[in-house]
Amino acid sequence: MSAPRLRGLLGWGYLMPYASLFGLFVLVPIGVAAYLAVMQFDLTSPGSAGFVGLRNFADAWNDEYVRRAFAVTAKFAAMMVPSLVVVAFSLAVGLNAMPRGRNLVRAMVFLPTMFTVAVTGILWQWFYNLEFGLFNFVLKNLGLAPVPWLSDKNIAMPSIVLMSLWWTSGGTAVILLAGLQNIPRMFHEAAALDGADGWRGFWSVTFPLLRPVVLFVIVTNLIGAFQFFPQAQLLTGGGPELATRGVVQYIYETAFNGYRLGYAAAMSWMLAAVVAVFGFLQFWLMRKEAS
Amino acid sequence: MRIRQALYGLLATILAILLVRSGWIGAVGGRPQTEISFWNGFTGPDGRVMLELIRRFNRENPDLKVSMQRIAWATYYNKLMVAAVNGRGPHVFVIHASTLPRMHRAGFLEPADFLYGAGGVPEEDFEPLVLRTTEFNGARVGVPLDIHPQGLYCNADMLREAGIVDERGNPKPPATRDEFLRAAALMMHPRGSPSPDRYGFALTHWQNNYQSVFPQFGGRYLDENGDADLDNPGNVAALEFLGSLRTKLRLIPPPDNQLGWIGFRQRKVGMVFDGVYMLGDLKRLEGMRYVGAPMPVLGHKPGTMADSHILCLRKGLSERERDGVARFIRFLSENSLDWAEAGQVPARRSVRNTDRFRRMQVQHAFSRQIPYMVYPPRIVPLFEMGLEINLAVERVIRGRMNARESLRIADQNAQKAIDRDRAESRRPGGVR
Repeated sequence: MSAPRLRGLLGWGYLMPYASLFGLFVLVPIGVAAYLAVMQFDLTSPGSAGFVGLRNFADAWNDEYVRRAFAVTAKFAAMMVPSLVVVAFSLAVGLNAMPRGRNLVRAMVFLPTMFTVAVTGILWQWFYNLEFGLFNFVLKNLGLAPVPWLSDKNIAMPSIVLMSLWWTSGGTAVILLAGLQNIPRMFHEAAALDGADGWRGFWSVTFPLLRPVVLFVIVTNLIGAFQFFPQAQLLTGGGPELATRGVVQYIYETAFNGYRLGYAAAMSWMLAAVVAVFGFLQFWLMRKEAS
Repeated sequence: MRIRQALYGLLATILAILLVRSGWIGAVGGRPQTEISFWNGFTGPDGRVMLELIRRFNRENPDLKVSMQRIAWATYYNKLMVAAVNGRGPHVFVIHASTLPRMHRAGFLEPADFLYGAGGVPEEDFEPLVLRTTEFNGARVGVPLDIHPQGLYCNADMLREAGIVDERGNPKPPATRDEFLRAAALMMHPRGSPSPDRYGFALTHWQNNYQSVFPQFGGRYLDENGDADLDNPGNVAALEFLGSLRTKLRLIPPPDNQLGWIGFRQRKVGMVFDGVYMLGDLKRLEGMRYVGAPMPVLGHKPGTMADSHILCLRKGLSERERDGVARFIRFLSENSLDWAEAGQVPARRSVRNTDRFRRMQVQHAFSRQIPYMVYPPRIVPLFEMGLEINLAVERVIRGRMNARESLRIADQNAQKAIDRDRAESRRPGGVR
């Protein structure tokens, strides 16, 4: 056997463990979801399963709760992504400017990202508890009225966004910090010689050079935001009055409380289409940046 | 030498594994031990009571080995459904009476008529209303273990403090609408002055509280044709009454204040409506004095919501497994007085008619509602209807909509779910 052929086989050998798991746990479920989306497949009526074409999609299009769930998801994304970019960017710039102790602070900032969402959710349930919660304890000691963090329709979503920021901004800040540290010092020095330091230097040199990283952060977090689910499931259960029930939660409830797998699969594909739009947008923008 | 020792060791290990797998080890009197898996959602203090019952059963029945799997109710039915429709479900499991219609239609429940009669459980010992929840097309699919009606919990000290006592000085839970409103007001202002952090009454699970009240106003879930009837005048009157407790009478905490059951545990709330199963939680509180009572009559007749744990078995069991499951179910049913200690009302009349049960104050008080309790409707899209009821109640309690309009929306949406289910299941009328 020739050496290149052997190398090729070796490459496939290395790839196989991952590829087989990817096929089993990603490609097969995608295929099953595609099949289910065009079927009426209800676990409570196994005898009535059958091909329904695009009816599940048409029903979902006309379902008021689907529209509301998409609106809630979009609201979360609209609140979460800009706040995350601002917070994470501020953290990254602050960390980058630290002359000493940067690693320690970076580790502390990154720490919440290492928690699972279940741990984070339980922790924040107690922070937000109306009676015994940390936040209301502080407010009461300051002589202020307690805030119904999770039970007021208008406050529940910002509360979830706040928790999500605490949970995710560390990871995003580390990505941005890596981007900042990759900017060659000579650009800053040249700008300073031309009198562009401080804010001017930041906007004219740092930010343009960091743009690909910021773009990556925005698009990936936007895609993540459209998969908004566990935070609301843990903190509010989607309430009050469905004010925090996003698409993924509605899909989950349809599949595992209502047992309507076909309809839930169709909604999953609709969400996947929205996420794919942002995925392609990222791809297109990155290519544009690169060229 | 070493290789030979290693080979002998390996051989002995293989032999041991084969013996264990064959069932010869652990066999009793030459008969292999039959393993029975039992799933339920008893993850609270009730789980410990059930575990003790199972240990007793295993001791008394050495040829059987029941092992229990407890899964939180929130995900229990998902796991049961997925496992059971694939034929990998447990041998015996608990299903709420309200959930039976969808589980029955999924097709994995074994007809359980053979569990009744000679050698089984006596069918005449059960309330016909409770037995009916297990019947589908003339066949029963399980044995009711208990009944858990909603009822009234009162803080005994707060009742006394408000002077609401009988002639012997014992706390006297309210039984009528006037008594209830008076008690709520007196407990809120025990010395005539309002206390910002204290309430005579608070709602707990809004949806359940409402469903416990509307039968008293002549309300119902479905009309005679099995269509949604959530906006009938009785339902509207009941929701208007609950809404008025906040919007007009100012007797209950603001909706955003989540006092409810926690407030009751903290002695900040004098009365709550909740299920008899919450007793296990109260028993753990030191120094908490409470009294249970039937729901006060807030409408024009008594009524409350109830549900039951039904013991079911899956299809495809071997003869030995069926026999083991039958013995286990009979054991649990006969010993349901011990189960009642966990905060349940036994389904069997003979068990309820014992002195020991009468001494269980809360359980006995709640059991007095059996003649007029109402089970949730026997429809498959119950989750969807429950969600609509919940949203309707939420809109009214928060003062965002009047009861009539809110229930009209709920009714429309629930009917859509029923229509869709009928069309999809190709069974006009669904399960009734």
